Amino acid sequence: MSFRHLWAVTRKEIQHIFRDRATFILVLITPTVVLLLMTYTLAVNIEHVPLAVLDYDQSPTSRAFIQRITAGEDLDLYSQVDSIAEIEDMLIQGQVKAAVIISPGFSRDLLSLQGIDLQVIIDGTEPESGGFAVEHIGWRAEAFANEILADQFQIQGIPLESLQPIDLRVQAWFNPGLKPIIDLVPGLISIVLGFPALTVALTLAREHEHSTMEQLLVSPIKRTDLLLGKIVPYILVGLLNVMLIPIFAILWFRVPFQGNFLVFIALSAIFLFAELSMGMVIGVFMKSQSAALAMSFLVVMFPGFFLTGIFFPITAMPEIARLESLFLPGTHYAIITRGVFLTGIGLETLWPNAVMLLIIGTAFILISALFFKKRLA
Amino acid sequence: MIRRILALVKKEFIHLRSDWWMPAFMLIGGALELLAIGWATSRPITNLPLMIWDQDHSPASRELVLALENTGTFLLEDQVQSLSPIEDALNRGDINAALIIPPDYSTQLTSLLGKPTLNVILNGAESIPAREAQRAIEGVVHDLGEQVVLQHLGLDPDQTAGFNFSLRVWFNEALSEAYYSTPAELGLMLEFTILLFAAITFSREKEFGTLEQMLVMPFSSLEIILGKAIPVILVGMADFALMLGVVHFAFHVPIRGSGLLLFVLALGYTIVELGKGMAISVFSKSQHQAFLLVLMIGMIDFMFLGYAVPVESMPRIMQLLANIIPAHHWLNILRSIMLKGSGLAALWPSILALVILGIIINTFSLLYVRRKLE
Amino acid sequence: MTESAFINITELTREFKNKTALEQITLSIQEGELFGLVGPDGAGKTTLLRILAGLLQITAGQVVAAGYDLNKEPEEIKPHIGYMAQEFSLYEKLSVVENLMFFADLYNVDVKEQEDRIQKLLSFAGLTEFKNRRAAHLSGGMQKKLALATTLLHEPPLLLLDEPTTGVDPISRREFWNILTDLHLNGTTIIVSTPYMDEADRCSRVGLMYQGELVICDSPVNIRNLLDGDLVKITTSDWQEAHTVLAPLAGVKEIQTYGEALHILVDSGKTRLPQLTRALKEHNLAVDEARTASPRMEEAFISLIRKMDQVN
Repeated sequence: MSFRHLWAVTRKEIQHIFRDRATFILVLITPTVVLLLMTYTLAVNIEHVPLAVLDYDQSPTSRAFIQRITAGEDLDLYSQVDSIAEIEDMLIQGQVKAAVIISPGFSRDLLSLQGIDLQVIIDGTEPESGGFAVEHIGWRAEAFANEILADQFQIQGIPLESLQPIDLRVQAWFNPGLKPIIDLVPGLISIVLGFPALTVALTLAREHEHSTMEQLLVSPIKRTDLLLGKIVPYILVGLLNVMLIPIFAILWFRVPFQGNFLVFIALSAIFLFAELSMGMVIGVFMKSQSAALAMSFLVVMFPGFFLTGIFFPITAMPEIARLESLFLPGTHYAIITRGVFLTGIGLETLWPNAVMLLIIGTAFILISALFFKKRLA
Repeated sequence: MIRRILALVKKEFIHLRSDWWMPAFMLIGGALELLAIGWATSRPITNLPLMIWDQDHSPASRELVLALENTGTFLLEDQVQSLSPIEDALNRGDINAALIIPPDYSTQLTSLLGKPTLNVILNGAESIPAREAQRAIEGVVHDLGEQVVLQHLGLDPDQTAGFNFSLRVWFNEALSEAYYSTPAELGLMLEFTILLFAAITFSREKEFGTLEQMLVMPFSSLEIILGKAIPVILVGMADFALMLGVVHFAFHVPIRGSGLLLFVLALGYTIVELGKGMAISVFSKSQHQAFLLVLMIGMIDFMFLGYAVPVESMPRIMQLLANIIPAHHWLNILRSIMLKGSGLAALWPSILALVILGIIINTFSLLYVRRKLE
Repeated sequence: MTESAFINITELTREFKNKTALEQITLSIQEGELFGLVGPDGAGKTTLLRILAGLLQITAGQVVAAGYDLNKEPEEIKPHIGYMAQEFSLYEKLSVVENLMFFADLYNVDVKEQEDRIQKLLSFAGLTEFKNRRAAHLSGGMQKKLALATTLLHEPPLLLLDEPTTGVDPISRREFWNILTDLHLNGTTIIVSTPYMDEADRCSRVGLMYQGELVICDSPVNIRNLLDGDLVKITTSDWQEAHTVLAPLAGVKEIQTYGEALHILVDSGKTRLPQLTRALKEHNLAVDEARTASPRMEEAFISLIRKMDQVN
């Protein structure tokens, strides 16, 4: 290993990044800008879900019930309709996400303590809003029924408390409101920081396409020096983003940062090394930039998106996908970022992930060096 | 003119032949990736690691644990005897939820006035599984509570008051995750494919200096643009057809509406994205820049496909922004035609939005590209 | 074949997927030679140079250069050669000096000497005033000189230059060759491929390559003398007609066309020239020019290649 060679390549790559202002700005700000915008979309708050109501009962009780359901901020009465066909239209056009159908015997059954059938229809194409509507209609309906029951029980002399025999207390640690913005932002950092890795895959192909590769190959530089020299500048650029991103996450989006900043930086550097090495493997095999691009989307980006447990928990994936996720740097980094931001754990807990990242990075670099021939085809 | 455009189209495809990775990725890669990712993630959230601290050790507490296991949502990670392993596991992110059953659980439960307290701790560092866990636990506890009430009152379950929900889910009767997620995944990959392909068309020629040569040849700028656009459209549509096949046949997502309408609108959407890609292409000096821009725009668009969170629940400003994202309208159309069987009558607002966006984007793009070419 | 030769190539064969680029080449080059490689495109010149530079694997045979067996030590030879690729292969976005610095680092040029040597090479190549210009903005000739300067940074004993003057204007070409001659005089071994015969003439020895084979390898004088007979140059109003008229005449060995002119190889220029002009006039062809000339390497090569084609 020659530090002089390593530095020469690093310096050359940095000169290339800086020389073209547009490239420089894009390399530097893409991750932060994308994260910022993505985060904004995550500041979700499901409320005002539009409902359609079909009231066959038309009694004071049913009207009180409808009033009760739509009293809060969560569910809005979009329209009271006269037929199922109207509900269907509204669901198809997406005007309502759910509908409640009140049967003709509603008030009679309720008052006589008979079981009541309440039909709820939800739009299965929007499971989030639909599930939300079902949940909230359920709560309101139950409260409504309990009040009526309570009246009856009081007459019978049964204490009211016995209606709720279990006291369920749910608390969410690290993210009390279970707000997606709090936990998805740390998760998404691994995706946006992965962008430079896609770029690295291009740099070798670029040398091939511009025939500068020939001059490099004929020089006495060692393969690993060349490959590492190409990675180092992007680690540095990545780290610039690593410094920028928490500032936005913490100050702008109020994501807590419980851990140690230095640990975060150090582990981020290791992650970048692993991710970039992965990009390098693609670069070694693909001789044109467009091919390298295509491959990096397939191999780095999409799996990094879907298989690293950011949106979908890894434990629920099938065996093979779980195994694959172990070899994706993003999986480990997502654990690291969530840990450092939200739970405040440090190296004492995160070291297995750090070691795994080091192993992945070293393995990928060795693979690329192995397949990178200092010869022309 | 047609002949000259065809010549240009042919040239593009000859280029592709020598660099076959790009089209291979475009066509097969997207479909395969969709298959793999859909398979891995289009499923109910199950096997969430759950830790239980049962201080009661009674038949009643065991019944509760069994009921939780039977939901399929949880994978019983461990039975522990104190709070500290729970804390550790939560800190490490090893579990998604923990349930603490008090020592007097069964006695409280059986006494008429008793009210046992169940404590649940969720790992908020992963909010999506945490919410799933919460839903499952609440469901189990609610059902259990109802049984207890009935026992206390000595009532017959069929006779009591209370609501029997009959939930009907329309368009997705079995509440299959694939119905919801695979169209979004298709949308993401289709958009990236078109954008990427369109974006490197000009940037590549610029980088190699071959664009100059093309400009001195007797082609009008419109012919050059069309010559570049047609291959993108062809590949985009083929890609769409393949991925739609995956979604329909592998994940059994129905196509309830008109397939023809779906393809016509897919073509329209392809052209809208193509305009975006071309503008990026001409703006960029190198493939590298084009690539970074595609990444930036594509990722932002992705958020409006409603994969992670529904657009309806985003902040107001983001909902307004969604209106100018073609992918948002396209996904709406895709889902409506496939799942709801919607026709023009229901879809016209989305189609209109797409058309308007298409006209704006492509007019701008055409003018911009032409100016740059001349 | 002398064991002490600087470069020894023995029965070298290189095959690509569906084509044999070099076939059974045997050649030795002495230290200090300025060796020219000529031949049409696709003859295998670039392949040979790339093998010598350690860039391509050897399919069969042996190559020992500067004491390194290229079958076994393709990496070890790299610090001792300067290689200039046919296409411009420096970084266009970097300036002249930045390119030089980059390669000085890669070749481990002594840090103390580096600055000095770069200055010297810049003035040597006439690039001093352009040293901060980006390589992309240099003219073709300047780019070639920069590429040469880059290969000289580490003062390699062996220089491999692949068509270094293709696409360069005549003045720059001459300057370039003056530099090469200087290097040659200083004892550097140079192997240069070129499509230009006048350049081949300046080499100490020339090898002609054709279809992967080394057809001949000798000094320019000896190659010219290969043609027995004289050369007659004739320019007429209709060269195609003239060609058919002259070809069957007695004493005419071979006719080569150079644009409008015909170069006719005859057994004796003195006796044949009047016969040829007479024959043309009989066919009502106006003769613009008709003179004897001494054969150049070009004619010799074309004659050789024709003979090879006939054999095949």
